[in-house]
Amino acid sequence: MIKLPKQQTQSLLAVHGWSGVLLGLLLYAVICTGVAAVFAEEIGDWANPLAQPAPATLPAGFDARFRELAAQVDPRHHEEILLFPSAGKRWHLLFHSHETGADGQHLERGTEFELDPNSLAVLSRQDGLVEDIGAGRRSNAVAEFLVDLHVRLHLPNPWGLLLTGTLGLMMMVAAISGLFLHRHLFKEIFTLRRRRGLLTARDLHVTAGTWNLPFAFLLAFTGSFFSFATTVGVPAMAMVAFNGDVEAATEALTAKKLPEDATPAAASNLDQLLADARQRGGGGDIAFAQLQHWGRADGWANVQLAPREGGLIGDILLYSLPSGGFLREQPFLGHTPSLGNDLVLLMSPLHFGNFAGVLSKSAWFALGFAGAYVTLTGLLLWTRRRDEQRNWRWMNRGIHAVGYGLPLALAAAPYAWFLLPREGAWHPLDTQGLLFLLVSALVILASLLARDLDRLRRGLLAATGLALLGLPLARLVGGGPGWASAWQQGQTSLLSVELALLLAGLLCLHFARRGAQAGAETTPASAPTTAEQA
Amino acid sequence: MPDAAPTTRRRAWLRGLLAGPLALLAALLTMMAGALWLPEGAAGLDHLVLPVLVFPLLWAGWFLYACLDPRLPRGYAVVGGAALLQLGLILAHVLAAKAGGA
Repeated sequence: MIKLPKQQTQSLLAVHGWSGVLLGLLLYAVICTGVAAVFAEEIGDWANPLAQPAPATLPAGFDARFRELAAQVDPRHHEEILLFPSAGKRWHLLFHSHETGADGQHLERGTEFELDPNSLAVLSRQDGLVEDIGAGRRSNAVAEFLVDLHVRLHLPNPWGLLLTGTLGLMMMVAAISGLFLHRHLFKEIFTLRRRRGLLTARDLHVTAGTWNLPFAFLLAFTGSFFSFATTVGVPAMAMVAFNGDVEAATEALTAKKLPEDATPAAASNLDQLLADARQRGGGGDIAFAQLQHWGRADGWANVQLAPREGGLIGDILLYSLPSGGFLREQPFLGHTPSLGNDLVLLMSPLHFGNFAGVLSKSAWFALGFAGAYVTLTGLLLWTRRRDEQRNWRWMNRGIHAVGYGLPLALAAAPYAWFLLPREGAWHPLDTQGLLFLLVSALVILASLLARDLDRLRRGLLAATGLALLGLPLARLVGGGPGWASAWQQGQTSLLSVELALLLAGLLCLHFARRGAQAGAETTPASAPTTAEQA
Repeated sequence: MPDAAPTTRRRAWLRGLLAGPLALLAALLTMMAGALWLPEGAAGLDHLVLPVLVFPLLWAGWFLYACLDPRLPRGYAVVGGAALLQLGLILAHVLAAKAGGA
């Protein structure tokens, strides 16, 4: 129990409440999408699976394919080459070079190939500015829509990141003030009074919130770091230590310098280089590879691996391209190990929960879900206590619309991917966004017209349940492999996502139905909404 | 008594100013000046990375302090003093760099 003077307790109470209400709805949106984004990789694989599942690593013959494609692009773009996987483990190979535009702006231009992970056949090719190439990628659109909503609420940079960073700070403030406010912390962890109405709702909010406090703090802190590091941190550091040169600051932190030598030199076999990296990294998958100055004497390759079993962070290994020889283990930042590098690397597994596969992701999903629950119930409790005031009753409608409408809009958005053309003039991110906005508008309209908010809540829950149950069918209509075929080919990830969707859909329908029965059996439960009708 | 409400409102605004923009400014300046007084570490980058890493904590810390200090003038003195100290360090560094460059 933490004792504070009355005045300070009141100040904290105001901070706790208003920090939650003012930005609570946006925060709820960020947490909700973050919960789903924990499984972004699995969702991406599920939404756009290949007929034949991808092998664990790049197939033999990658080096030959690489050289063939390198010969098809402008040799200037051999300056830097990136290799990374996306949905269904399709491999992206981006050849690009750096240049200065007419207005002195730094530009990156190149060619990207999307490769089938089994045959290494080219699935698509894009040429142009790297920024446009990134915007033109389509294969991972379902996961990207979720992640982009979580990271920057689909707002342009840097405003979206600044907003989500600020929301993270508010969440951190709410978590810290909550720690001080809950005087009977340990008692409240186990307090759940079985009574219908406000008291039980309050107990559930406090219990979930109390259990979730350390995790909420962790997520808020790491999320704020990710939002602010590039938008505020690096420019601020550049201003002080590099006379405002952000490029120089970034270079100092990340460049893997080898002595410059532009002499042409044949690159070694990439199959052997990547196999050696996997062996050194304990057999882990290749998460990312960066090749610089391919075909030159100073060429190097930086291979980032997925974490070893039981490890938090994957190895980053540096190789010489001409010899193919292993040079050293490379820190993410700088050239030698450092405290700063270790702490920055820790941010990622702590925020994404991806350090122990599906197990840790499931734990992060559950804790994130509890966070969303605490945010929503906190907002509902706040407004229900002020139910006699007209403005708060309208706020209560808004909270119902966002709280129960957002999951519905999120569940509806992938239908645009499955049922509309993916390669047309409209990018799948745009069609998903439009469907998301359409469903949101309908939910807002329904919440404005609803005479009974409890019925609205149940209606939105039921609609979300139906939308989730329909997603596997929409995927089948969209042309994905059937369940029998997926089972035979061992596509367990796809089947797991569909099982989770079916389960979540049934749970939504169950809670919608249970809410209806409870409302019919006990009139006091619907008391808050009768005030709404008055 | 008639003056009580305006005084309370003014204090609320002053508290908001301290906890909002001033706390943010203090956190930003502390982060930037951290590059000047933190040890560089073996890789020569700890002084650049650690301030960015703790920036959210700095902001949350200044924000909560600004909300909690019962004496508003003292709150302004502490937050403002810390911000000015860090600003002085940054200005001294920038001026020294310019003098060196000239």
